[in-house]
Amino acid sequence: MVHQNKESIGFLVNQMEQICRAKGMAVDMEQYYFTTQKMCVGYDGRPLIKDVEIALEQGEFLTLIGPNGAGKSTVLKSIAGQLRLLGGSVCLGENVLSEMKRNELARKMSVVFTQKVRAELKTCRDVAATGRYPYTGRFGVLSKEDWRLVDEVLELTRTANIAGQDFDTVSDGQKQRVMLARAICQEPEILVLDEPTSYLDIRYKLEFLAILEEMRDKKNLTVVMSLHELELAKMISDQILCLKGAYVERYGTPEEIFEGDFIRELYGIDDGIFSGDKKFQAYIRQIGQI
Amino acid sequence: MDKHRKYRYIAAFCMLGAGVFVFFVLYICMGSVEISVREMMRAFAGVDDMETKRRILWDIRFPRAMAALILGGALALAGYLLQTFFHNPIAGPFVLGISSGAKMTVALVMIFLMGRTVRVTSADLIAAAFTGALLSMGVVLLLSRRVRGMSMLVVCGVIIGYICSAVTELVVTFAEDADIVNLHNWSRGSFSGMTWENVKVMAAVVFVTVFLVFRIAKPLGAYQMGETYAAGVGVNLRLLRAGIVILSSMLSACIVAFAGPVSFVGIAAPHLVKKLLGTAEPLLMIPACFLGGSVFCLFCDLLARTMLAPTELSISTVTAIFGAPVVLWMMGRKHADRHVNDP
Repeated sequence: MVHQNKESIGFLVNQMEQICRAKGMAVDMEQYYFTTQKMCVGYDGRPLIKDVEIALEQGEFLTLIGPNGAGKSTVLKSIAGQLRLLGGSVCLGENVLSEMKRNELARKMSVVFTQKVRAELKTCRDVAATGRYPYTGRFGVLSKEDWRLVDEVLELTRTANIAGQDFDTVSDGQKQRVMLARAICQEPEILVLDEPTSYLDIRYKLEFLAILEEMRDKKNLTVVMSLHELELAKMISDQILCLKGAYVERYGTPEEIFEGDFIRELYGIDDGIFSGDKKFQAYIRQIGQI
Repeated sequence: MDKHRKYRYIAAFCMLGAGVFVFFVLYICMGSVEISVREMMRAFAGVDDMETKRRILWDIRFPRAMAALILGGALALAGYLLQTFFHNPIAGPFVLGISSGAKMTVALVMIFLMGRTVRVTSADLIAAAFTGALLSMGVVLLLSRRVRGMSMLVVCGVIIGYICSAVTELVVTFAEDADIVNLHNWSRGSFSGMTWENVKVMAAVVFVTVFLVFRIAKPLGAYQMGETYAAGVGVNLRLLRAGIVILSSMLSACIVAFAGPVSFVGIAAPHLVKKLLGTAEPLLMIPACFLGGSVFCLFCDLLARTMLAPTELSISTVTAIFGAPVVLWMMGRKHADRHVNDP
């Protein structure tokens, strides 16, 4: 497999840096809001993916794609500071993530992961309100201002109509939007989402992504997420990172990623397995041309 | 919506407060010697012919009632902390074997010190119980990493409890001391024989611990929702977990050191209180659990003292009668909506 990293922005940044250093110039990284440098991730000291280089400007959407078990969640957890990096670093604006205080990080980055949320005896509004945690005082009591913001966010995420309902009784699609509301209540500059649209029907998938777009337009929100739906990834992303094996397989714009047979290669879809069946053959040809 | 909730909280706390007051008065007035409220007033006013009753009230019933109140509250709070920690509604110091672990170390220390005719102080007992509680908790924590599911964890806890109880029984049987009768009573759980000295010590320890529990109310609320979300809003999980383990062990230790193991209060009281409040918010649940545990223990110990008077039942007998059905009912209900509660 040829490494196509040459096309990627991360690679260019590296090149730029090296040139700048060579000429003794100050490295101008200011235009990028979120970057990773030689990030190495994995569990228990065993590296899973090495040399992840990401560079995002504010308001850009990055999507992680790749087969099951490729390490998308691992990368996202590492980016969110919930998994210790095995090497390299993650930067948020001018700060190195690992040196930031927990509360400071929570005010800049919020996460929606796949872990089921326990919301015993909580209404949807209560769940959204838990996002105010980094801003409340010692006992975590919300001020009037906080509640007003929560209600605004509920409007924005189209969950105001279910605000008073018990969280455990609403549908998966609604739950996911409430979790998004919770993340937005944290007033983040960057949002990290792990498969936020899985288990949602097509309408909810589109609505969910539309809300993210709206947040980008209004607040210049940066988003890093993983998606299984390739067509949606192509539609919404500014950059796509493809994961497979021990390195980043490819990193670039949707146009670059969806070029030729790459997607089929990424997911290891071998024509041979399905050679006897015309239905499958036709479908596989389509995949390359999403 | 919010106003409605506020009224509910106020009503719930009024009920709990009234419950504590009513059962406290009943506790003091009822017993093998019935004393009316008026007589109690007169006794404390210093009327001469009431000296015996004054003694009964002041030296026996008051400290015992205070102990039931403080330790009951501590027990319920310990249960609440453990339930939050394990995300498991049927966790508690008794079912997880923490009480039994504390009991074992206390029995060992008592026999060791008594054998050397050293006077055993309250502080010694608490320290011994705390060590035992932490030991059991350590084993439970190790096991909790290996076993999946809340029922398996409880099974492990029960087994640990049996092992510790067996060791205790063994030690008690071989000790052959005059004080063993005392030890035997205590090892079954009882609030009897409390002195004001005991009450002072337990009040101090429990007060400090409860204060610290309040301090972690905010991260506890975030932790309830799940680890990744708590970490995502900036909770230091490692620190919080250590805090919960130490505080719940301290509360469990305090109960065991003074009253021996008391069953089911730690599960039943928080659950009933949660139903009453209609919220799981720690800032409200912490004081409400304490009050709920107090009411529960005052009520149960009142029955333990009076039901078959002058014979006394062990406190665990009564708490089990009233607490265990609550736990069973809860398990049945939890089973129905497991998909919501399991990780």
